[in-house]
Amino acid sequence: MSRMNPVIVACDMTTAYGEGIGACWDGLLSNTRAIRKVTRFSTQSFHSSKAGIVEGLQYKQDASLAVQLLEPLFRKHAAKIPPDALVILATTVGEIDLLERSVLEGTGNAELSRPALLLDKVKGFAGLEDDGMVISNACASSSTAIGFAAGLIDSGNRDCVLVVAVDAVTEFVFSGFSSLMALDPDTAKPFDKNRAGLSLGEGAGFVLLMKRERAEKEGHSIMGEVAGWAVSEDANHMTGPSREGVGLRLSIQKALKKAGLPSGEVGAISSHGTGTVYNDSMEMKAYNAVFADRMVPIYSIKGALGHTMGAAGLIETVIALEVLKKRIIPSTVGLTDIDPEAAGWVSCEKRSLDKQVVLINNAGFGGVNASLVIKP
Amino acid sequence: MRTNQQDRPGKEACGWIKGDHCGCALKGLTWPFTEFKTLTAQLLHDHILAYPIENFARFDEASRHVTLSAALALYDAGIAYAKGKKQNIGILGTNPDGALISNLAYFEDYLAGGRTLGRAKFFIYTLPSSPLAEAAIHLGLQGPMTYMLAAKTPRETLWAHAGLLIKNEEVEAMLVISSTSEATECRVLTGEYA
Repeated sequence: MSRMNPVIVACDMTTAYGEGIGACWDGLLSNTRAIRKVTRFSTQSFHSSKAGIVEGLQYKQDASLAVQLLEPLFRKHAAKIPPDALVILATTVGEIDLLERSVLEGTGNAELSRPALLLDKVKGFAGLEDDGMVISNACASSSTAIGFAAGLIDSGNRDCVLVVAVDAVTEFVFSGFSSLMALDPDTAKPFDKNRAGLSLGEGAGFVLLMKRERAEKEGHSIMGEVAGWAVSEDANHMTGPSREGVGLRLSIQKALKKAGLPSGEVGAISSHGTGTVYNDSMEMKAYNAVFADRMVPIYSIKGALGHTMGAAGLIETVIALEVLKKRIIPSTVGLTDIDPEAAGWVSCEKRSLDKQVVLINNAGFGGVNASLVIKP
Repeated sequence: MRTNQQDRPGKEACGWIKGDHCGCALKGLTWPFTEFKTLTAQLLHDHILAYPIENFARFDEASRHVTLSAALALYDAGIAYAKGKKQNIGILGTNPDGALISNLAYFEDYLAGGRTLGRAKFFIYTLPSSPLAEAAIHLGLQGPMTYMLAAKTPRETLWAHAGLLIKNEEVEAMLVISSTSEATECRVLTGEYA
């Protein structure tokens, strides 16, 4: 079957490191955390007081946190977005702060937090008139959306898709993750022997995907190809992953098959790596099953900028493009004492990329898993 | 008690819940109900449910509707499921409001509790994909699961995506769920119609 080779031709993001890809990349390579004390709301009753928050981002009456994150991005980039692009918005709870305000202050309207309304705003920011769609798949939302976009291009249904992702740290999600006992009281330490939970984070970003033929014809520089993608379900538990990593293994195998690549071609794995005991252990079991003959370098960026929920997959895809470009695999920030299960796979130091393929994995509530295979 | 009423004809298998009735479209079966407890008991008795749905009392309303309509749809399609058995079947869902009702339930409860401690049993339903996940867990569906909301033609968009997944031989079948405040329906797409 002929392939349409979906490629990424533009991207940008805002994370707790600040605006831009460079700020995040430099932060990761300098092994510094962007996780800080939350002042947006009281964290006194929660299991943690820290998150990867964007400095200066505060609740406002006239704009949700998501809008404050997205609007500046598109002020900078809207002119680059082709008008025929289909926009896909990936988020878990979008403008949930509008609902918070309605409940806490009795002002505003909780219904304004519906995802379709944020999609309309995104279309406006990007200058797009197409109908667009929302994809919400827990913490695998944006990796699912990128895979879906790649599938639309691959099948010939579309030749240009804009994937936009956003999620913000709010009292709503912070209290919820705290209720699940999922937060590390200090900061997340993915794959560490002493890991004790995740740190929440926030961010927004976009990737513009295009059919390779069109990208070349229009003179776009190609940042990478989305060669494989897959989504799977553990069908196991609402908040805990399959202990054996069965669902993740399935999505990795399907994504590699879609890419037509053997597992031996993978040079690095951008892991979900939340820092919870069960997630990181589940991932290692999946990696041991898929990469039975060798240890592939693994990294997680969530100890550096927090778990950005629905935006995580997109932010990690943008970083994976940098990994391919710079041929450097970042260290796992926050990791000091490597869990024996991950020994030989993860590192406290940056490493060189010696192959041409990066595998990105995400997982989420309800047992969902999503995998992307990225190559130059 | 179930009755035979061919009130929702269609070429593909479909499970549905509307008001105080639920049913299977192809088989023309309908069950009236007044409460979920008696409905699930009846569906167990009639072998629509292969085994009791764990934590069903904890489910939010959307998860109850989605899980039951999905079970009815599988029965309508003649696809058996069993506890512990996983199948390469996916599930896609759409609704216009995301998780708005459950978001309000969680956060109003949090506020009523003194704004100090959220309750996990409410928080886990604050994602639009949570009802799909509950259905996937009960039915053992390991294929792709995604909540999608296409601004226009939401059902057709899901149906087309489901067809593509089957055509590409990524899954054996897809459940496509469409919910509104009035009704939930789950259609089954297999290779026959993809």
